[in-house]
Order: sequence, then structure tokens, then C-alpha cells
Amino acid sequence: MRRVANRDGGAFAGLFERHAPVTLGLLQRILGARGEAEEVLQEVFLQIWMQADRYDGARSTPRGWILMLARSRALDRLRRRESARRREEIVGEEAGEKVSPLGTERLESLEVKRQVSTALGSLSPDQRRCIELAFFEGLTHTQIAERLEAPLGTVKSRILLGMSKLRLALSAQA
Amino acid sequence: MSTPHTPRIEELLPAYALGALDGDDLRELEAHWLSGCEECRRQLALWQGELETLAAEVEPVQPSDVTRVRVLRLAGSDRAPAAPPRRTTPWWMAVAALLLLALALWGLLDQARMERQVRGLEAERERLSRQVNDLDRQVGLAREEARRAQQALQVLAAPGVQSVVLAGLGPSPGAKGRTYVNPSTRDALFYAFDLPPLPADKTYELWLIAAGKPVPAGTFDVDPRGTGTVRVERVTDASQIQAWAVTIEPRGGVPQPTGTMVLKG
Repeated sequence: MRRVANRDGGAFAGLFERHAPVTLGLLQRILGARGEAEEVLQEVFLQIWMQADRYDGARSTPRGWILMLARSRALDRLRRRESARRREEIVGEEAGEKVSPLGTERLESLEVKRQVSTALGSLSPDQRRCIELAFFEGLTHTQIAERLEAPLGTVKSRILLGMSKLRLALSAQA
Repeated sequence: MSTPHTPRIEELLPAYALGALDGDDLRELEAHWLSGCEECRRQLALWQGELETLAAEVEPVQPSDVTRVRVLRLAGSDRAPAAPPRRTTPWWMAVAALLLLALALWGLLDQARMERQVRGLEAERERLSRQVNDLDRQVGLAREEARRAQQALQVLAAPGVQSVVLAGLGPSPGAKGRTYVNPSTRDALFYAFDLPPLPADKTYELWLIAAGKPVPAGTFDVDPRGTGTVRVERVTDASQIQAWAVTIEPRGGVPQPTGTMVLKG
């Protein structure tokens, strides 16, 4: 990331090849539409190229930083869209071409996926649903309560307990 | 002044990291956060780490080649993608190459087709040009014919026209001839019928006889039917013409008759 901040085009290309597939996977999960996800992916990497010096290695991994940038942009875009319109756009969109990264990257990714799947498995379906609505759709407590037609207090509890379980499960695996 | 970092504040942090906090909860945490709580910052970073792991749980999706090229071009590093090697040639390049090939072939075929068309058009132009020339010639002949007919009519339809019949002699006993003289204009017309064609070095010559002397009145050839004609302008006073005769003479005519007489009247 330091080399990218120093305008090293080769390092930037390497960063893209390593992290773009997962980033695009996240963007597509949030936005639904493949074309829009690719568009945001370009914006995210433009931002990385322009602002790589803002990356703080003490606070997150490069992948974590990139994914949070991507999530933030995708949720901004999602909030600008009308919910009904988004549903229409998703219908008929091609499902993304899913490929797995290669080599050790793939093994690492598979390991992370396994860990996260295990961690998510420790949540109740309700807790998992609330966290996914917040994380992938950017909904707040109140919006999740409306979407699920559940009491606001219940939603808050599910998220708090779900996040705590997630932390426990991940830390146990680490 | 910093508000205390209570368990209640800690409970709000996971939802804040998720972005799910709103309403009074959000205002409460922000009021505390803005007071500069280091513990909140540390805790939030930890929750952020959990979320990053969650984000990586999604299925990877390979970016399109268009996106890859656009992004790498940003940094001037739009070299061939290092991964994945499953697709050595981008599909759009293959499609573009096929399109170019098809265009090139189409161009060649089109060129050949156009060349054939040009050759066809040139042949057609040549044919039409010949046709126009033929028509021009025919029109010229028709005009000439009309002019002659007009002249003949002026002679034949004139009041007091004088006509003389010529009879065949010697080698052409069956031949006939007739002269018409317009006394007012003194123009004359002569028609010969059933005269045989002559060798190339010979011609028929018409004579009028006045005051006992032959006066050349023009030469003529006959068509395959044996018909020939001569138009004579400004002949001697018709009353002085004693006779008409036709002789066979060398081509170009002579001032005095030298050959065989074939018509006389």
C-alpha cells in the first residue's frame, strides 16, 4: 500500500488483482446489479489510487480498508436509489460470474470464508438477518424493524447479541 | 468535558460500526464520541475488523476486462492482467478481430462487386454510345432524305413542271429514266430505274443536250435495286433543252461524253 501511495503503477496493478474479485463480490452483494457494481469498483480503485496515503496499517488490513471503502460507496449509492426501483433493476440482471482466486490467495480466502461461515453459523437466523440487513443494505435499527415488522428493541438486541457472538466465534478461531 | 465511557456506550458501538445506529442512540453516542473517548476509538476499530472479515465472506466475482483495463489505465499500468490466466484473449478483442476480419472480407468482396459493376457500366456506356452514334447517323440520313424530298417536292409540285421520259439503250434496254424541270426556278430532278451497278472505276453521267451540244448535269451511282437520282440546279432554259442522256464514264465524270449511252429521252 505504501508503494501505491508512492504512485507505483505495478504495485497498484497487483493490489487490484488481489483484492478486486472480493471487492466486486461485496459490491454486487450490496448493489445487486453487476454493471453498477463494476462501476463502483472503478470508483473505489480510483479513490485508492488517489488517497492511498490515507491508509493506516495499524487500524486495518489493506483488504479490510478496501472493503470498507467499497461498502461505504455502495451503501451511499444504495441510499440514493428508490427501493422499488432497485428491485426492478435486480430482476433480469445477470448473476455475476463467480470465480475463485488462485493459489495461496484462494486458500486464504477459502479459510476466511470457512471461518466466517462458522462464525455466522453460531448466530440465530434472526440475528444473522438483522446484521446482513445493516451490513449489506445499510439499514438502520428503525429501518430494519420496519422491514422485518419487528419491535425496535428486538432488532437492537439481535444486532448487539449477533455482533457479540460473531466476535466470540472469530476470536475463538483465531 | 468527557462523558463517562459506560457499558451502555459500549453496547451502542457494534451497531455504530455496522452503521445501524440511528435516532437517540446515535445522538447519545456521538455526544460521547465527540468528547474524545479513546476507548471508543479502540473498540470501534476492533468492531471494524470484525466487519471486514464479514465483508470478505462474499463470493469473489471476477471483474470484467473492461473494468480491469480502465482501472489499470488510471495508474498507467494497463499491462496484461496477471490473473487469472483462464482467458488469454479478452472476448471483446476476439469479437473485434472477427468484426475487423469480416469488414475486410466484406470490403474485398464489395470492391470486386463494384469493379464488376464498373466494368458492366462501362460496357453499357459503350453500347449506348454506339447506339447514339447509329441514331445520329440515322437522323442525319433521315434529315438528308427529308431535305431531298423537300427539294424534290418543290420541283415536282411546281406549276408547269416539265417532264421527260428516258428509255433504255444498248446494254440496258429495260432501264428507264425521268426528268422533271421547274421552269420558274430552273431546278431539275432526274430519276433512273433498273440500271445495273457499275464497276468501282465507272460512274453514270447525266447530260442535257442544248443547242446541239451535251452539257454535263452530274454523276450518279445506283442502289442495289438499280435506282439512282441527280438534282440539277439552275439548268439552261427548259425550252432550249433538246434531250437528256445518260452515259457510262470514268469515275469522277468527264466534260464531254466518251462512253456508252444507256438512257436517252
